[in-house]
Amino acid sequence: MTEYEVVIGLETHIQLNTKTKIFCACKADSWDDEPNTNICPVCTGLPGVLPVLNKAVVEKGVLLAKAMHSDIRMRSFFDRKNYFYPDLPKGYQISQYDLSLASGGYLDIPMPEGYTRRVTIHKLHMEEDAGKTKNAGNLRLIDFNRCGVPLVEMVTGPDLRSANEAAQYLIRLRQLLRWLDISEADMEKGHLRCDANVSIRPKGSHQLFTKTEIKNVNSIDNVKNAIEHEVERQIREVEAGNRVQAWTLDWDEEKNELRKMRSKETEADYRYFREPDLLPLDLTQAWLDEILADFPELPLERKARFISEYKLPEYDADILTGERNLSDYFESAVQHYAGDPKKVSNYLMNDILRMLNESGKTANQLQLTPTFLAEILTMVDAGQINTSTGKGLLEKVETSAKSPRKIVEEEGLGLVSDDSAIRAVAEKIVAANPKEVETFRAGKESLIGWFTGQVMREMRGKADPKMATKILMELLKK
Amino acid sequence: MSEEITPEIFNHLVTLAALELDDKQAAYLRRELNQQLKAIHELESIPLDVDLKITTHGVSYSLTTSPVLREDTWLPHPNPGEILAQAPQVDEQYIIVPDIPHEKLD
Amino acid sequence: MELCDRSAHELLDLLRSKQVSAEEVVQSSLQRIAVVDGRPGSLESGEETDQDRRTVHAFISVAAEQALDQAKAIDQQLAKGEQVGPLAGIPFSAKDVFCVKDTYTTAASKILANFKAPYTSTAVERLQKQGAIMLGKVNMDEFTYGSSNESTAFQPCPRNPWDTSRVPGGSSGGSTSSVAAGEVPFSLGTDTAGSIRQPAAFCGVVGVKPTYGRVSRYGIIAFASSLDCPGPVTRDVTDAALMLQAIAGADPRDSTAANVPVPDYLATLEQGVKGKRIGLSPDYFQISYMDAESGEIHQKPVQEDISAAVYHAAEVLQRMGAEIIEDVPMPNTRYGIPAFFVISRVEAASNLHRYDGVKYGYRTPSAEDDLRVMYRKTRNEAFGLQPKLRILMGMYVSAAQYSEQYYNRALKVRALLRRDFDQIFDKQGKYQLDALLTPTTPTTAFPIGAIYGDSVLMQYSDQFTVTANHAGIPGLSLPGGIAADGLPIGVQLLGPDFSEHTLFSIGRALEIGTQDEVWRLQKPAVLR
Ligand SMILES: [Zn+2]
Repeated sequence: MTEYEVVIGLETHIQLNTKTKIFCACKADSWDDEPNTNICPVCTGLPGVLPVLNKAVVEKGVLLAKAMHSDIRMRSFFDRKNYFYPDLPKGYQISQYDLSLASGGYLDIPMPEGYTRRVTIHKLHMEEDAGKTKNAGNLRLIDFNRCGVPLVEMVTGPDLRSANEAAQYLIRLRQLLRWLDISEADMEKGHLRCDANVSIRPKGSHQLFTKTEIKNVNSIDNVKNAIEHEVERQIREVEAGNRVQAWTLDWDEEKNELRKMRSKETEADYRYFREPDLLPLDLTQAWLDEILADFPELPLERKARFISEYKLPEYDADILTGERNLSDYFESAVQHYAGDPKKVSNYLMNDILRMLNESGKTANQLQLTPTFLAEILTMVDAGQINTSTGKGLLEKVETSAKSPRKIVEEEGLGLVSDDSAIRAVAEKIVAANPKEVETFRAGKESLIGWFTGQVMREMRGKADPKMATKILMELLKK
Repeated sequence: MSEEITPEIFNHLVTLAALELDDKQAAYLRRELNQQLKAIHELESIPLDVDLKITTHGVSYSLTTSPVLREDTWLPHPNPGEILAQAPQVDEQYIIVPDIPHEKLD
Repeated sequence: MELCDRSAHELLDLLRSKQVSAEEVVQSSLQRIAVVDGRPGSLESGEETDQDRRTVHAFISVAAEQALDQAKAIDQQLAKGEQVGPLAGIPFSAKDVFCVKDTYTTAASKILANFKAPYTSTAVERLQKQGAIMLGKVNMDEFTYGSSNESTAFQPCPRNPWDTSRVPGGSSGGSTSSVAAGEVPFSLGTDTAGSIRQPAAFCGVVGVKPTYGRVSRYGIIAFASSLDCPGPVTRDVTDAALMLQAIAGADPRDSTAANVPVPDYLATLEQGVKGKRIGLSPDYFQISYMDAESGEIHQKPVQEDISAAVYHAAEVLQRMGAEIIEDVPMPNTRYGIPAFFVISRVEAASNLHRYDGVKYGYRTPSAEDDLRVMYRKTRNEAFGLQPKLRILMGMYVSAAQYSEQYYNRALKVRALLRRDFDQIFDKQGKYQLDALLTPTTPTTAFPIGAIYGDSVLMQYSDQFTVTANHAGIPGLSLPGGIAADGLPIGVQLLGPDFSEHTLFSIGRALEIGTQDEVWRLQKPAVLR
């Protein structure tokens, strides 16, 4: 039986998280709005009105291009892509065709199996989104709220080799988009949309075979699922002696099946030409420098550095660089703390992440600042509080925004390391438990733990356990 | 002289243009298209420099004469209802159009 | 002379010195409309009557009441001694491609017959802010596609006030008719290949195609977006300067409205032509046109009295101190029309995509259950032949397999046309011209029905004007005489980018130099 290799390229549409649309001053996000309320003459294509490019769209596009290692064009152009569709009010989409914002580029995707897949970028351009169409019986309901929302379309080469690789690409892309604050990248809300071009070929072949295009997939799981379905279908077709046809397929999430949309035999001619309503987009070096001045370290670079610089296990480094705020938080806490970064990581991975999940906050929104966290860790290390007090402090600092040291003082949470106070309690415990004292003295020295526990209980955990043990040993061995 | 826009090409253009013509209109339009194309072919007699720079506009814009880009500031349109009021068919805030029949796989 | 026959700058003097009221000015215009305009264009016009053939039909809609209300408000402000705008009380008409909030803007097409824009075009807004009063919307070729106004869906079509059996020219024929017939002193037109200058010449008025980007295109229904220029139609050069002053300048709503300061046009208007270098080009005294049968291109000189009028203008200017430079080569002039056939169609077809029966305007009443059928029926039923012709040509020459052969070639030819002008206006070049003086049109106004239908021949009447649209440069057409057929002759001044002030001062000098000539006494037939 022939072994097949899967060849996948992804076309992603990334909705930028600017405040306003790309060519008009309507707000970009209208997720919660009633249909056709977030509209104006420009984004609904009324006669005579003209597009005016939003500066922030260019800036976010440049950030993405930089992150994808693309060449940024100092002069790029907008073009009209002409076609009729009811949710495309002008009858053309303002997009970029041959001379778009950036060309080339790649993204290296580390796979869970350990290897890295380099995914090349074929196209990266800015464009406007269309509206939304809902079907209702034999009617279509059109909502223009989304018209003119800024998008970056990014198309990869046919470089991905499995549904899983496709999913990993989307996971890393989503991480990057959020990291750069370019997009909310929520697939369910359509901030990140993905069409997958799928074909198969006999293993060892370098030819590209007829591909199908899967559209309308709105989660990473569904992308994976749909590609898997399609690969199976293509193998079935080929095994049955049929040819794969260049179909456009629609993923029906509810039925978990693919539907054929329209034949791609006659590739539509969009009759691209330069958008005469806009001037060429010129980036000056000064503007470019300004946009890129604060270009951050990217997640994968940072992950590698966390491993080498802070000796974190890969697992920790991956989670701590999953999101930029969290990763900044970690690094800031490490800088305020003289001890082992792994201890900081433990606190983050166990406690802080849970706290974030429960509150829905991002790390930078916590009242428990990295400085406070470092303070707690330092107090535990110095024996000023015990570990459980330390953990308890996390919540207290978060709710009160008071410094941990102050809370410890106010609530008297500090460990008692006063010899006489501990000694008094220890003497009391020794006197009250003659039977255990006898057993200890008969040689069962492991009972020391039990004695220490009694002292701690009596002192409600505030005794320095090391000192308590020392005093107890002294008393018992007398 | 052979016609550049044959009835076949013409019908294809009519479809692309989302038009539908009666015979009289079609005959007139096809004749005029072919006439105009004859005039357009005059352009082929011009020797063109290879390095001739194409621009979108006749006037050249410099960095200083180009208008600045728009700041990303929200300015809601005061009366979106007036836009919707122009639509031929509206139901519960949606613009209504007929469907396109859909083909199912398999 | 009635009030409505006066120029805007004269009316402003009268208004400021309180010799007349704004209401009187508007009333005078409305009365003139009542006398000469006849019934307004409509979709269901029925048979054309004899009466129709004697009136000019410039207007599609007249907003008499609003205009009178505005005039009264201005009069009250003046009475109270309040500050009013610099154009307060001046009536104007606007070609029906200028969107004006809460009024119909039809582009003279059935497809937009019921369209009410929820916004006002920048040019109209600026005139209104300065106190000018919009009297109504004027007729035009459907979507501006034509040079005669015969293609309007709103019949009867405008007629030439000098001879109502003749076309007013186009596509801003309603604008030039309304100004020539004394209905308004100001009209807003648009010029894509000569659509202001050609009808201005035919109707004996002044028309300005400003530099591309000088006047915002916001709110103006587009023909060919890279060529369209809104501009003034007036009765004299002073008014043209006054009107352009009001509408010119950058606009945050138009990304192509250039960030170039607007000079004070009136300040330099009377500076004369001493030392100005004005060119004449043989390439603007002959036309190339295509024989409909053979498809061959023929050359023929322009109408004799037109070339005579241009040479006469040159003499007058020379007498006044200008230097006339003859034999200026403009070798690519003849390619302006074929290049326009391509570029404008590509843009027009795309600009017409939005008229699909979904969002506004006409939708076919035959209920259809297939969207594609709805599109086709809507566009077929509501577009006239001229839009259809432009759509089909645009589709053809921009198709992926042909665009290199046609569209990209045409763009290169446009670059050549631009180079012709760059060379003659180059301050270090051989000619160093301040302006080129040409005929505006190869003929005077042609009879209604004479050319209509022959889309090629019709387009060739724009041969001397379209070059400025390709190059983006400004052009001014002003009256230069009356031909033997009793029809006005236009002469054209073309200048480098943003040289409107120079063109105005040359034009003004020409007015002064010819003010005592007998043809100046002649009036349009409808006013005799
Ligand atoms: Zn908008």
